[in-house]
Amino acid sequence: MVKNTKIKLLLVTFIAIITIGYSSFVFAGRLPQLFPFRKKDALDKWEEKIFKGRVLYKVRMRRTDGYLTAYSKKTASGIFYKLKFDPKKTPMVSWKWKVVRFPRKGKGEVADSDWIEKDDYAARFYVIFPKLAFTLTKTLEYVWDKEIPEGTIMTSPYFENIKIIVAESGKRNRGKWVFEERNVYEDFKKAFNREPEEVGAIAIMTDTDNTASTAEAHYDEIKVGYKHEE
Amino acid sequence: MRNKRKKKFIGSPAQKKLLILVFTSAVIPAGIVALCLYYLIFNLLAWQIGIPEAVAYNLIPVARKVNLIILIALPITLLAIWTIALGLSHRMLGPLSRLEGELDDIISDEKSGPIQLREKDVLKPLADKINMLINKFSSS
Repeated sequence: MVKNTKIKLLLVTFIAIITIGYSSFVFAGRLPQLFPFRKKDALDKWEEKIFKGRVLYKVRMRRTDGYLTAYSKKTASGIFYKLKFDPKKTPMVSWKWKVVRFPRKGKGEVADSDWIEKDDYAARFYVIFPKLAFTLTKTLEYVWDKEIPEGTIMTSPYFENIKIIVAESGKRNRGKWVFEERNVYEDFKKAFNREPEEVGAIAIMTDTDNTASTAEAHYDEIKVGYKHEE
Repeated sequence: MRNKRKKKFIGSPAQKKLLILVFTSAVIPAGIVALCLYYLIFNLLAWQIGIPEAVAYNLIPVARKVNLIILIALPITLLAIWTIALGLSHRMLGPLSRLEGELDDIISDEKSGPIQLREKDVLKPLADKINMLINKFSSS
């Protein structure tokens, strides 16, 4: 009896350590969460994550308003924000973005074997679904690409659990603010053929490391974790 | 010769219990610590790296190599722990089993001489005292 109690205690302690460790990475906040970039210090709570070189992320003010600029020259780094929401209850995310300059990509189909060399986008918006084991973490990545048709869903050349969704395509809207609104619950189901679990982070990245070129994009009015028509 | 080891495994329930106890008390804490370290190191690193492509590029190949090493090393480690546990159980319960056998032989008159245990056996002093006691009774 005593032996069983000890084993149970040991197991409970073990599970508690794992659970506390896991949940300490992710913070729940009020929903919907808004990121209007209206203050110079708007990026203070975002974490910079460097992959290859540093992209310049900066809040640019215009009178009482502001927006986020990203300038990349042969670099890849992103900004990352931990949050928590259930996409089954509040599936919507939205943002505004503007591409000033696209990375220079070679011609060819995306299915080329060397397409990791073309895995640069002027603007990316990530929704990350973390799991206890990091290899099971899944990511939806909304991109604005110059050539790939809008609505295309691709698997990242880096990992099968990263699905790239082309949310905006072409040069037609270059230099203009474009509003995007996505239902991450539906997108996840389309991309992974299964139901999503909790969202644990969002991120933004403009990168040109693979194409060794230059890109610039602006982001604004990010809103996450709300119901449709809220 | 009863005092020579004849079996790799002693079939007595006491030794089985001791063997399992020593084995599990080594494997369970080691397993928990290893799992915690594995989980903490890789997950902390994954969160630290953040960008999914960077995680995939930098961490997944490492995790796959580590998994392969674990897959190879785990059976070897378990076998080593089992061997050590078996050795310990022999060392602890082997003399007791031999002493019990010697006493059985004396009681059933199959043997009349003193109890013989190995010089290094932990129960050798006890066996010597029992021999002295038997001598004392037989002389009185």
